[in-house]
Amino acid sequence: MTVTVKLFGMLKTQLGTGSELTVTLRQGGLVNDLIAAIQAMNPVVGELLLKKKVLVSVNHDVADGDVELSGSDEIALLPPFSGGSRGQGG
Amino acid sequence: MSTVDTREATLVRVQRETFSVDEEINRVRSRSTRIGGIATFLGTARDRSEGRDVRSITFEYYEGMAQKTLREIRERALREFDVIEVLILHRYGEIAIGENIVLIVVGAMHRPEAFKACGWCIDELKQITPIWKCERTPDGETWVEQHP
Repeated sequence: MTVTVKLFGMLKTQLGTGSELTVTLRQGGLVNDLIAAIQAMNPVVGELLLKKKVLVSVNHDVADGDVELSGSDEIALLPPFSGGSRGQGG
Repeated sequence: MSTVDTREATLVRVQRETFSVDEEINRVRSRSTRIGGIATFLGTARDRSEGRDVRSITFEYYEGMAQKTLREIRERALREFDVIEVLILHRYGEIAIGENIVLIVVGAMHRPEAFKACGWCIDELKQITPIWKCERTPDGETWVEQHP
């Protein structure tokens, strides 16, 4: 199956595919399979995913690695949010 | 939409245009005559970050998920603090130095809970809301938290 992954912030530049990325996974593939596929494309972003510096969301909820994906899911990669740690920023 | 949904859509917004702090405070004030204290947090665009001059800031957000996250923050604040109303507003797009970025307004019977809930809301917003900040500096553009 093919899934479309929305990209935000620095990831658009890092992955170089604009605001979306298309990934082919086996039917019933998991978030972990998506992470492995992205790691093969871009080890730096893959590492950020493995360290959970970049999160995966599925249908607007942050998803763990064992969540099963379907072609109709809305999937996104979320780089670190602008607020950062408490006490930083505005 | 039901009345509750409409009210929530007014009290939780992600929008490009700037906002009037007075108007937003009045939105909360008008919700109940039991309100005796209103705490606000207004975040504005500053011209300095990490030792660099900043010329402008652009915010990008995840449409749908950002609003959902802010609605959940408002609902949790209403549940977990003794407050009457909470408004959360965040801008996106390019924002000039000195302009408004984010506003939290909390109405309560008494000030301690209003202050507590207001501080909690802005901390939580910054931790879990999918909104990203890109600063334009003399050296180029930098996504904040670019080197996590």
